Amino acid sequence: MNNTVLELENISYKYKNDLILNKINLKINSGEKIALLGKSGSGKTTLISVLNGTIKPTQGKVKLFNESFEELDRKQKSKITTIWQDLRLIEDLSAEQNVNCGLLAENNFYFAFKNLLNISSFKKAHKYMKLCRLHNSIYDKKIIKLSGGQKQRVAIARSLIQESNILLADEPFNNLDPKLITTIKNLLLENVDKNKTKKSPKTALVALHRLDLLNDFDKVIGIRDGKIFFNIKRNNLKKIHLEKIY
Amino acid sequence: MNKLKLNYTSLSFLPILVCIPLGYQLINNIHFGGFKLFQEFLISAFNPKIDNEIIITVIKRLNETILIGFFSWLVSIIFGAIFGIISSNIFYKIFNIPNFFYRILRFFLTIIRSIHEVVWGILLMQIYGINFSIGIIAICIPYIAVNSKVFAEQLETIDYKSFESINQINAPKFSSLITLIWNPIINTFKNFGLYRLECSIRSTVILGIFGIGGIGTSIFLSFQTLNFRELWTYLWSLAILIILSGLIFKKIKFNTTNKILSIFFISVFFITTLFSFSYFLYFIFNNNFENFNSVSSLFKSSSDLGLFDFLKLILETIILSLLSTGIAISLPPLVIGIFNNNTSKIFIKIFAFLLRLIPTPVILLTLLTFNNPSVSLAALTLGLHNAGITSKLLFTNLDSQDKRNYIAMKSLGISKKTSWLLGLFSQQAKSYLAYCAYRSDIIIRETAIVGVIGSVGLGWQLQESLSSFAWQEVTLVLIAYSSIAIFGELINGKIKNGLT
Ligand SMILES: Nc1ncnc2c1ncn2[C@@H]1O[C@H](COP(=O)(O)OP(=O)(O)OP(=O)(O)O)[C@@H](O)[C@H]1O
Ligand SMILES: [Mg+2]
Repeated sequence: MNNTVLELENISYKYKNDLILNKINLKINSGEKIALLGKSGSGKTTLISVLNGTIKPTQGKVKLFNESFEELDRKQKSKITTIWQDLRLIEDLSAEQNVNCGLLAENNFYFAFKNLLNISSFKKAHKYMKLCRLHNSIYDKKIIKLSGGQKQRVAIARSLIQESNILLADEPFNNLDPKLITTIKNLLLENVDKNKTKKSPKTALVALHRLDLLNDFDKVIGIRDGKIFFNIKRNNLKKIHLEKIY
Repeated sequence: MNKLKLNYTSLSFLPILVCIPLGYQLINNIHFGGFKLFQEFLISAFNPKIDNEIIITVIKRLNETILIGFFSWLVSIIFGAIFGIISSNIFYKIFNIPNFFYRILRFFLTIIRSIHEVVWGILLMQIYGINFSIGIIAICIPYIAVNSKVFAEQLETIDYKSFESINQINAPKFSSLITLIWNPIINTFKNFGLYRLECSIRSTVILGIFGIGGIGTSIFLSFQTLNFRELWTYLWSLAILIILSGLIFKKIKFNTTNKILSIFFISVFFITTLFSFSYFLYFIFNNNFENFNSVSSLFKSSSDLGLFDFLKLILETIILSLLSTGIAISLPPLVIGIFNNNTSKIFIKIFAFLLRLIPTPVILLTLLTFNNPSVSLAALTLGLHNAGITSKLLFTNLDSQDKRNYIAMKSLGISKKTSWLLGLFSQQAKSYLAYCAYRSDIIIRETAIVGVIGSVGLGWQLQESLSSFAWQEVTLVLIAYSSIAIFGELINGKIKNGLT
């Protein structure tokens, strides 16, 4: 059985005259926890945007479950969840409304409408916000009024509520204190058991700068100037690898 | 030698130069025949007629005005929002519709917007005859287009990144759309929607002068019969209505997190949408089109209007717009700056209020008592009325501004007027000019009103052509109007971009 979840075939992305991603080939298998390393400006965010379909590559093919991304329907595409580096919350909605946005894909228009009127149920949203250690006094506060770390966790809760098994996270530990980092890391990497019947393992690709957090990952990918320099098991990571990319 | 340097402050005063040609023509056209009338008009302001009979008339007429004003406001704000949404970038991005449609829709709305509600009113009355709903429809047509522009502009401010993130969640498209636009739409309703009610009421009054009914019609009739005391009763009662509605809306703060209120608003939204849509259908299918047949002669009738005459009318309309804009820009800062003390301020405010209150046709008719009709007189009318509006904005901004600079300059021994100019006004000049640029768009459209009454420019030609059923001429005039307005809007867009 082929258990490749996401696949990049010869991906290049050009912005004006800059080649930001350069011929990237990558296979992400089901259940893999991958850390994406690379210095600032190396193309991590761009790679993640290509993986979730936000950026159309100039060249190459993105495949999800062995099918070309463009041919998939909405429901299938929604199986990926993303935590953005710049969070991308809706600033003038409340924290709980933003978290509920994660449920929009599996609900109808009426749910979206009730969410805006504050008459939908926030039970699930609150559950995930609590897991992210968000205090209930901020549930109905607008995003603009939150601190950096609070915003970060609202974005994380919005992703978790999607209960998706494919996670793309771009520096999700920004703005968090050491204790919170451990909590959040476990939440992000633990398996999701949506239907309570069969356990499907979580696949995660996490861009990060903190080398001390690598222990929980199976694989490490190093990227520099839009090129993959190494794609190896974590146990095989040597100092020389890191010297190449930093 | 110092070079004359153009900055925002001097640019605010420079347009007053229009007064030179304007004054010249006005002085040449002066006549003393109606001076007594003018005097009587002024005196009557302090002695309006008050008895049982007129109070009953006032209530009845005001009722009509409020009804037309309110319904046209409600319908135009709701459909304005709907058209605003479907002519906004975000709508096209979410639904992946080619940009081509977006351009067509926007262009169509621009054309509709370029024609003043009075012109729509005159046109519709000619086709369908006078009736209550014509007033509402005439106001709604351009208002929907104006409102849709404001809503669309607000929707352009939505962060592209939040669009991308919602898009990545892969929600149903309508869910994504409503989640993104909800707050910008609600805020536009709050900040802009209520102000539009006042505009609707003013437009209803103007349309009343052209026969649609309500207090405007009474104002016009009492002027025609030279019943100035009665005229002022109507004007003052209109003033009370406008002040009251302003006060009420200042008090109302509607909270979108209040469930019952939200549900109420949403029901109003759907009922209005459904009702106006079905009324629209009813209107289309249940009207007698007898007069409408004359429209079909549009392609047959030949025009007596020579090309030269026509160009002259266009030129007149442009000059009229320029002169009025000059007055509307420069008069308020000049007057406020020269008479810079507390007593004068109160008088200026009252005068500005009167200029806003009295409908332009009435101002023009009053001025006609001692001056022959001319482009300058029409420009003076339009300029004064709009100066009433720009000065209100200027006062509000100046009052809320930090006065430390001004006080510091005065304490240095700099004269009061100079300190006002450099310490207070200079900081407002840029935003004031930006507002005036927006205002001049409106002035171009309003040339229609004074044109009809003051027999200048395209407005007058429109009236003439309509009454002789020369539909080809009517079409020509409308096209000319749109072109001027659209052209003006383009230039103003450039100026506004430069200012912000
Ligand atoms: N919207 C954009 N327009 C133009 N260039 C861009 C854009 N986004 C990214 N880039 C460029 O692409 C390159 C890669 O950027 P990217 O954001 O993917 O880096 P990154 O690895 O995520 O960096 P960081 O660790 O700082 O987040 C950079 O050189 C950047 O300047
Ligand atoms: Mg990045």
